[in-house]
Amino acid sequence: MENKDSAVIPNVDQERIEKRREASQGAVAWRRFRRNKAGLAGLFIVLFFAFIALTSPWLAPYPARSFQSLYEGEAGQAPSLKHPFGTSKTGLDVYSEVLHGSLGDLYVGVGATAIAVLIGIAVGSVAGYSRGGLGDVLLMLSQIFYTIPLLPLILLAARVFLILVAQGFGLTLIMILLGIFGWSTIAFIVRGEILKVRELEYIQASRALGASKSRIILRHVIPNILTPVIVTATLLIAGNILTEVVISFLGFGDVNTSTWGLTIQEGYAYIRTEWWTTVFPGLATLFAVLGFNLVGDGLSDAMNPRLRD
Amino acid sequence: MAGITKYIIRRLLFMIPVFLGVSILTFAIVNSAGDPIALIRQGLRQASPEVLAALRAYYHIDQPLYIRYLYWLWDILHLNLGVSISGTPVIDRMGPWVLTTLELQIPALILAALIGIPLGVYSAIHQYSKRDITVTSFALFGYSMPTFWLGLMMIIIFSLYLGWLPSAGAVGITHLWWGSELGDRLAHLIMPLLVLTYVELATFVRLMRGNMLQTLRDDYVLAARSSGLSERTVVYKHALRNAITPIVTILGLSFGSALSGAPGLETTFSWPGLGYQFVQATFALDIPMIIGITVVITIMLMVANLITDLVYGMVDPRIRLS
Repeated sequence: MENKDSAVIPNVDQERIEKRREASQGAVAWRRFRRNKAGLAGLFIVLFFAFIALTSPWLAPYPARSFQSLYEGEAGQAPSLKHPFGTSKTGLDVYSEVLHGSLGDLYVGVGATAIAVLIGIAVGSVAGYSRGGLGDVLLMLSQIFYTIPLLPLILLAARVFLILVAQGFGLTLIMILLGIFGWSTIAFIVRGEILKVRELEYIQASRALGASKSRIILRHVIPNILTPVIVTATLLIAGNILTEVVISFLGFGDVNTSTWGLTIQEGYAYIRTEWWTTVFPGLATLFAVLGFNLVGDGLSDAMNPRLRD
Repeated sequence: MAGITKYIIRRLLFMIPVFLGVSILTFAIVNSAGDPIALIRQGLRQASPEVLAALRAYYHIDQPLYIRYLYWLWDILHLNLGVSISGTPVIDRMGPWVLTTLELQIPALILAALIGIPLGVYSAIHQYSKRDITVTSFALFGYSMPTFWLGLMMIIIFSLYLGWLPSAGAVGITHLWWGSELGDRLAHLIMPLLVLTYVELATFVRLMRGNMLQTLRDDYVLAARSSGLSERTVVYKHALRNAITPIVTILGLSFGSALSGAPGLETTFSWPGLGYQFVQATFALDIPMIIGITVVITIMLMVANLITDLVYGMVDPRIRLS
């Protein structure tokens, strides 16, 4: 076979072929992802928003939730050089709020997803490994969380807890709620992958070679379930940001922290006279979510062996 | 036949833990803050003593927590959802609200499926062409946008600047739009319907395209192709059938999530359906109303899921045999 290969393509760079053969799964995925223009654009958008979120305290001309424009007599103004996205009737500089909001919304989106992934992996792997009682109960629990009406329950919990428990921790509360209610998809994926992987020949082979249970899980099972989990988690971040924006828009979020939804809500009351307070935070949401979706789709294509060329 | 009866029974039995799960969660959230009556008084400081007494009796406040839950569950199972803090029985309000929500959701879902599924197939057949990229981008924007925000943008353009369409409600209050009762309803329906259709359509396009691409790579499609069948027959008779079955699940799921995902959109358009009323009730901390709506949404979700499962079981024989 070796000879035939070089006979058919005599001029290939042997070193490059060797490199390709030795490349790890991650390197292969990255090489394929790099060629996906939409995915790269998404990655750029995500990094851009991450940069804005982390530097917003220095980038933004006004501090978060500052109604200073009101005292400067500049409330409710259309976009201008001083206020690129205009000011709200209540005196917020919309540009500053959009910058600060990216911190709040990425915090909720990424944090909630991290919680959901942790719960999902824990529940899913136990459900996948233990045959019988416990596994069935956990599977049933995942199905319940998959079926229940999430948004109403989250809204109710946010309203009840914000009044009585978590004043001042509003955004963290929303993050925890989104995480606690949103893990079922991850659990299903992890369980499914484990059921699939543990019956494969190479796992049996390594078991026959005397590999310990922890070695099998760490070296063989985890790398296999990681791929679909990463893809789903990226798309889940997008979904969580969208849900956070709805929650804040409806007035169930934290009124002391800047989020895009909160700014849209403040613009909604004066929508007849000022379009800019609702338009710009919404555009920010659209692009951030778009970025995560593009990355998620790109990763899913790059890591899907069936689409491999 | 025996297989399908068993399957139906299994799906029906599954509804019990789901319903119990939702009821326990709702009850726990409401009671986690302590006395629910105290919570209600936060929202309604001047509640009349009669209303409070009725609430106290309904929730059996003097009993321990688990007894209270059982009483409450018993009442719910007998469709006694209690009395709202405004004094009307909760159950009496549900009918019209459900109908208002369905008036928006069902046409949107049908339109989205009718447009989205063919678009997804079209996109998959022409993978990586300009037409595919146009369709995919169109869909991508749809599921990356907050639904309610798209509604706001349409209100700004079509109601406030152009003045073509009403911005709020399901019917005109001050005057009839477009001259007649039917025209008026249509004028109010058109914007929320368009927004919802677009957002749901995006999901259909995305999934249908993905399924179709996977199926077209299956061995049996290769076999069909190599046996000399025309591309048309291969795509529409062989591949489409298998690619479309998972969509049934998505239809049911998106119906379910539309019911609970509608609060944002319904609030934007002041569309007086379940989602809008839920937001109003939650703001007012009208606990009996909140729980009533949650129960109704859950029941509708479960019915939607059940129908989905049954249809899926009929379409895909592997499901009911496993």
